[in-house]
Formats: sequence, C-alpha cells, structure tokens
Amino acid sequence: MGLSRREFLKTTAALTAAALAGIDLPLKGEDLAQAAEVDGWFRGTCRFCGVGCRVELGVKNGRPVAIRGVPQSRTNMGYLCMKGMLFYQLMRHPDRLKRPLYRARKTDQFREISWEEALDIAAEKFAQALKTYGPASVAYYGSGQALTEETYLFQKVMRAGLRTNNVEGNPRLCMASAVGGYITSFGADEPIGSYADIEQAFCFFIIGSNMAEAHPVLFRRVMRRKLDNPDKVFVINADPRVSPTSRIADIHLQFEPGTDLALLNAMAYVILEEKLYNEDFIKNYCAFRLGKQKKRVSFEEYKKFIAVYTPERAADICKGNITPEIIRLVARKFATSPATMSFWTMGINQRIRGVWANNLIHNLHLLTGQLCRPGADSFSLTGQPNACGGVREGGGLCHILPGHRPVKVDKLRHQVEDLWGVPRGRIPAKPGYHTMAMFSAVNQGKIKAIWINCTSPAQSLPNADKYRKGLAREDVFVVVTDIFPTKTTELANLVLPTAFHFEKTGVYGCTERRSQLTVKAVDPPGEAKPEVWIVREWALKLADKLKDPVVKKCVEPFLGLEEGYALPKAIWDEYTQKLTAGRDNDLRGAPYEVLKKLPDGVQWPAPTKEWALRGGTYKKFVRGLDPLADIHAVDERPYQFYGPAHKDRKLWIWLRPHKGPAEEPDAEYPFYLSTGRVIDHWHTSSMTGRIKELMRANPYAYVEINPKDAKRLGIGPGDMVLVETRRGRNILPAKVYEGPMEKMVFVYWHDMAEERMINRVTKDAFDPGSKEPEFKICACKIRRLSGPKPLKPYIVRL
Amino acid sequence: MPIGGFVIHVWPAKKPQVLKELAREERLSVYAHDDKGHVVVVIETETSEEMAHLVRSLSLIEGIFTINLAYLYGEDEVEKIESGAYKPQTVFGKAFR
Ligand code: SF4
Repeated sequence: MGLSRREFLKTTAALTAAALAGIDLPLKGEDLAQAAEVDGWFRGTCRFCGVGCRVELGVKNGRPVAIRGVPQSRTNMGYLCMKGMLFYQLMRHPDRLKRPLYRARKTDQFREISWEEALDIAAEKFAQALKTYGPASVAYYGSGQALTEETYLFQKVMRAGLRTNNVEGNPRLCMASAVGGYITSFGADEPIGSYADIEQAFCFFIIGSNMAEAHPVLFRRVMRRKLDNPDKVFVINADPRVSPTSRIADIHLQFEPGTDLALLNAMAYVILEEKLYNEDFIKNYCAFRLGKQKKRVSFEEYKKFIAVYTPERAADICKGNITPEIIRLVARKFATSPATMSFWTMGINQRIRGVWANNLIHNLHLLTGQLCRPGADSFSLTGQPNACGGVREGGGLCHILPGHRPVKVDKLRHQVEDLWGVPRGRIPAKPGYHTMAMFSAVNQGKIKAIWINCTSPAQSLPNADKYRKGLAREDVFVVVTDIFPTKTTELANLVLPTAFHFEKTGVYGCTERRSQLTVKAVDPPGEAKPEVWIVREWALKLADKLKDPVVKKCVEPFLGLEEGYALPKAIWDEYTQKLTAGRDNDLRGAPYEVLKKLPDGVQWPAPTKEWALRGGTYKKFVRGLDPLADIHAVDERPYQFYGPAHKDRKLWIWLRPHKGPAEEPDAEYPFYLSTGRVIDHWHTSSMTGRIKELMRANPYAYVEINPKDAKRLGIGPGDMVLVETRRGRNILPAKVYEGPMEKMVFVYWHDMAEERMINRVTKDAFDPGSKEPEFKICACKIRRLSGPKPLKPYIVRL
Repeated sequence: MPIGGFVIHVWPAKKPQVLKELAREERLSVYAHDDKGHVVVVIETETSEEMAHLVRSLSLIEGIFTINLAYLYGEDEVEKIESGAYKPQTVFGKAFR
C-alpha cells in the first residue's frame, strides 16, 4: 500500500538520517520508489561556515526545495547543521536584489538601470579616479564567501589592470592573525593536518572558540571521538565565557579576556619544568626566534625567557578559575597525550597580539612534537567558507598574490606578471592598504572609488560609525555587489545584484586545504548575475575608457564564455594550472572534471591528477603522505618543511611576551565587552516543556550579563541596558546568565538596528603584525535604563 | 510545513532521560536509537525558522551534545516564500557580514 506524500517524505527523512547513523529502519523500501521528491540533486558545499560540509540541493520545477548531506564526504559524513535551511530561504526570498540600482548622490533615491548602463557607470567612475588621482585611489574589498574564481578575477583586474594592490577582504577581520601565525611559526600558511586527525587524537585543546555552536558538524566528530573513548580522550576548553563547548569539556579554563598569552606561556613553562618536551623533535626540526629581526636564539635563552611565566604568576594574571594546579594539569595532558589537537578561532585571532597568540599555541605543539603525527595538529578553524581557498590562496589580501606569493618579493611578482602575460612592473611592488587602512583612506578621501563585494563593512568593521562617515562621502564612489540590501548598500551609489550559491558555479576551499566545487542548480532571480560575468564585462569597458589594452588582456582568455559554467571553469583552470603550479598550494591535479569525480574535492598539495583523485594531501610535510615533501626533501628525515617563508626549513618556536588588550577596564569603564558571531538565543537548562515560551523570546541582539553583576546593578532579565564605550552607545535587552564571567559582558553582532549594532562601539585597535582588529575586547560601562520593551527587527530597504 | 530528518547525539548513559524529554515534544517523532547514543528523529514545524529554534532548544536538554540535520524538505515553504505569504526573518549572512 502506498504512503501519503507527507508520510513518504517523513520516511525519506528518517531513512536518510538513520543511514548516517548506521541504523537499519524497519521501513519498506518499495514505498520510497513511488514518487521522487525532487527532479534532481545538485552537489555543492555549504556556504554558511568554514567547515565545508558537502550538501546536495534538491531541485523541483526549477526551484530549490530540499537539502541533504553527502554521506561519502570526509568533511561531514552527511551531517549538516540547521544553517542549511538558509539555502532555500535566501534563494527565493522576496527581498533579493534583482536589478542594478543607481543614484548619483547618496542622498538620492535609487533608480533601476540596465546592466549596460550600470557597468558603464562603474567603469567610468573607476577610470576617472585612476586618471585623476592615480592607482592608489581605487580599491576592492571582497569576502571569504566569494568563490575562488570571483576573488581571483577581481584581484587580477585590480592588480594587473588598474595597477593597484588595494585588494582586501573581510577575512582580514577574522583570520589574518592565523595566517601570520602559520607563516611565522611553520613558514607556510594553513594547517599541516586535517579533520581526519580528530578520529586519531586523544587530547583536544579548544581555545577561543565556541566550536559546539560555530562549527557544529566538526564538533560532532570531536564528541564522537570522546564518546567512543570516554576514558582515553580528554577535552580542554579555554575561554572567558561559559558556552555549550565549555559545558561539554572535561576542563573549562575560564580566564579574563586578553590574558591568553600568559596562560599559553605558563603551559610552556610547565612543559619545560617537568621535562615534558620532545628533545628529538626540537633538535631535528625547530629553531628559536626572537623579535622583529627574527633573531635566532638558543633553547637555553628560551628557557630563561619562559622562566618568568610560572603558573603562579599566570594564575594571578588570568584570574577567573585559573589556578597554578589547573595550568599544570592541562599542560601535562597536552604534552603527554598520545596525540593532541588544538582548535581555535576568533577568540585568539581578534587580539591586539593575535599573531603572537597563534605562535604560542604552535609553540606548545613544537615543544612537545605534537605535530605531523596522526591525531596531532595545531589547527585554526575558519569562520567563512572560502576565506582559505579564495582569499588566502587566491590573492585576496593586499600583500599576497595568488599561490601564497608575497607582493613584495620581486621574483614572485614578476612570475605572476609573466603568467598573466602582462608587462613586468604592472603590479606595484608595494602592498596596498590593509582593511583598516583602506577604510581610513576612504575616510580621508584618498580612495575615490571602491568596489565592495559580498560583504557589509558598514556593519562588520569595528568602531563602524567612524568608517561609515567615509563611505557616506559624496566624493567616494561606492559599488556594492550583493544578493540583499545591507547596511553598506545604504551608502552605495551603485548596487549590482548577484547570483547566490547554487545559482552559479565555482570552488570553495575550506579550513583543511580542501577545494570543493559547487555546480549551478537553478537560475538567479531577475537580472542577477554571477560576479565573474560582472568583472569581465566591467573590465572590457574599463579597457575602453582607459584606452589600456592590458586591462583587456586580464579578461581576454575568458571572452565569450557562458557564465554559468564555462566561464568559472576557464578561470579556475588558469588559476590552478598556471598560478598554483610549483607552489605549496599546487592544485594542478584538480580541474573541475576531477573535483566532480570526488564526493568531497581535493586537499592541496595535489600537483597531479593521479594524486588528486586519491583525495590529495591529508598531512603536509610528511614524506610518503605529501608529494611535495618528497620533491623538496633535503635529507632522509621523515618530515620536510618546505614552507616558502623559512629559508632554514625549520619550524620556529617564538619568544613572545604576555601582552594585555589594547583597552582594559578602568574606573570609568569597568567592564570587559566581548562580542561574537554565532547567534545563540537560548541558554537555559530546563527545556522542552518551555519551548513554546522560549520561541517567543526576544530574537534580537542582547547583552549577556553575569547574574552577580546583574544583581549588583539591579538589572533583571529583559531589562533595557545601556552599553557605553569610549566610542558610542548601544541599548540592548539584558540576558542574565552564567555565560560571561563577572565584570564581563557579551554581545552578538548580527543585529542591524542602529541601537543594537555592537560594532558601533567596539574598538578599532589592530594587531601590528596581521592588521586584524581586536574586536573581542574593549572596556565598557553598563546601566539599567528601563524594564523590558518590545523591539522591532531592522530590515534594510532601498 | 518543512520536514527534517535529524540524528541527535546523546551521552549513552543519559539516553533514557533524553528520550523521555523528546517524547514530550509533539512536533518530533523518534524513529530509532542505538547504544552508541544516536537517536533518529523527524521534526515537522510550521516554518524552517521554527524548526531551527526548536533544534536549538532541544540541544540544551541535558545529555544531548549535538543535533545534526541529514535531510530537509520544504517545497510548500518555498512556495509560501515565493508568493510572499511567508517571509523569513533571516537577515542574510548576519553571522559573517
Ligand atoms: S557546520 Fe558549517 S558548513 Fe556544515 S552545515 Fe553547518 S554551516 Fe554549513
């Protein structure tokens, strides 16, 4: 007997889920054959965080109606998180931008115009700026959500066409310190290991990351490992805030914001004091380095340096629940476990000394030799789906050309010019403006035309009001390409509607060096277009207006190609076959045909198709596992560190002193203000009976306050609270809960309503090395304003 | 009304208590569970936003460490979104912009 359609769909849902868990359901298979729930499934990568889960979009009558995970994928094994629902919500959302919009002045109303006119205006404004003020007056600001093909083509036109390295992107705000950390510690960007290490690790050290919520599918693997080996696997979470991650950990180290460097150095102290270090690993593979000059120092000097970071002193600095004993305990666990894997995200990266914090985590792995072996790795997690693949590898930051080539190295810059067939000297030798300098230059009127793609700096920059003033200047021409109106389109002259994920084709490279293809499944709405088409057509007009054949040369290989597949494919081919050849992120073995054959893409280095078809490289630098380690081998040792930044081919253990945050609480602003990206509305322990009630809870940004502070200040749940810093004020409802420690408040930054937009008050101090701002920490004061008040959502309209 | 197939991952020792809690939620049906702490459920809600909220709330039940989506079907919700009858509050990309 047949099932009703709804029962059929429920059965399909149950069977799909059960299959992932390896459970056989006693449901009849023949019923499932009765009706296909979709016309076809299209394979791609989820775009809502950096894990890189493989997902299939179910399409019926030309529209997306379903999603499911890809069980054969080594990233997620078929599991997804709820953010997957955003696909069809966003793709069919009525607020999608559908036609180009233009206004000459930012105070005017937008009017719809044709693509022809839009591209002509964009070209005219950039050409004008270039001719009048020079190449430094134009800029591109991109995104870790853009496809690699998009970032690559934008930066090619900007650098070789418009002769500027003013190419940046929002990954500067979230992972630039991780890049700096990998390059200074290992000589090469991106993790050595892979997610596959999780199933072989015995100790997890999760610091500055709420992995349970920010990377839920990966966290499932960590917890599965723990559940399958409850007595052997140990989970440490170090974070100033109680979170779902800390609640599940065996130990939660709760320290005051900005004291992490002291904690990490004290762990190194214990490792030295108790002789838990791996002498062979240090002797064979490591060197000690100090200061800006990268001076080589001895192990003895390092020991002397670390001697002041006694656990007792660190406990004094860190406060919270940190005691000398707990530091000793976690240092021992870290060092003596058969394999230790560290994870971190913005809590470490968004620090005034984010690179140092990264170095100090790597130090622990280097001292103990917890690296290059199965289960041992120092692994930075990424928030965005293509911060690694597109921006780090594809040339999306002002100082890096495609293939991890520093702009300032003449030989490598000329290599890129030659590969592109443009005259040498076309790409300036000096890096462009980094993100904070770029928006300061906008403020000062030095940048006259800026193209912002797939991101909203008007909301996401720290101390945002300051930079919104610059974007609002009438003498700064702002183009925005996006799928929805945002806080930044409010400041734009020209808004160009783009195709969303699965409405175009392209590659994302996730956190573990893995490149994965998403194929076009449905048409974009209205006149929305893929960015690669937009850049190509814009470049052609620019070439005309500037009478500069080199601009045309940048897009010449791509002329006439169909935008849905052939165009991105040709761009990917140029990038991988030419620009990654011989580099550490060699992807020559991974053209679209190969990527399509594998359920989960390819991990670089993958210099040949044969190697790529095996999935690529799971562990860098290990002979037998990494083909480049064999090619670059200088001796018989099993690990060969060929990272381009370290000529001595060593891993560097850095002497980095403790440094507190740029702005610490004082008498006037006595609280730490910390911010985060994951929206987490409900924290309460007694649940199911109250779900309906909780559903009515406030869905907007709020300020989390420790119950002791709330009591002292007379603040009750839901009360309206003034959060004030030296830069401005927010008014937010209170959530009183044992999340932040005392003297600390926490605000999520997703809300676009002016009074709840937390980046209007955060500090724009940044790491002098990575130029990543210290979003996570500043000083504030809080005060109850009133009882609870009804709030309205803020939706940007054009 | 979207339909979602999920695997709930539970501390095995706490599974009986979790199953009791789950039984109280009418929008959820338990299809299977095993000794490793996998619980296979199907959730039906009015909207996918409601489903996301429900999942987040469930994840706070003592004994559950994570809830993963395997399959989501939402044809009628897509129709509602297209016709304007339902407009998700989702502010695009709020997590990363
Ligand atoms: S964990 Fe990240 S990549 Fe995976 S489904 Fe969730 S949002 Fe998407």
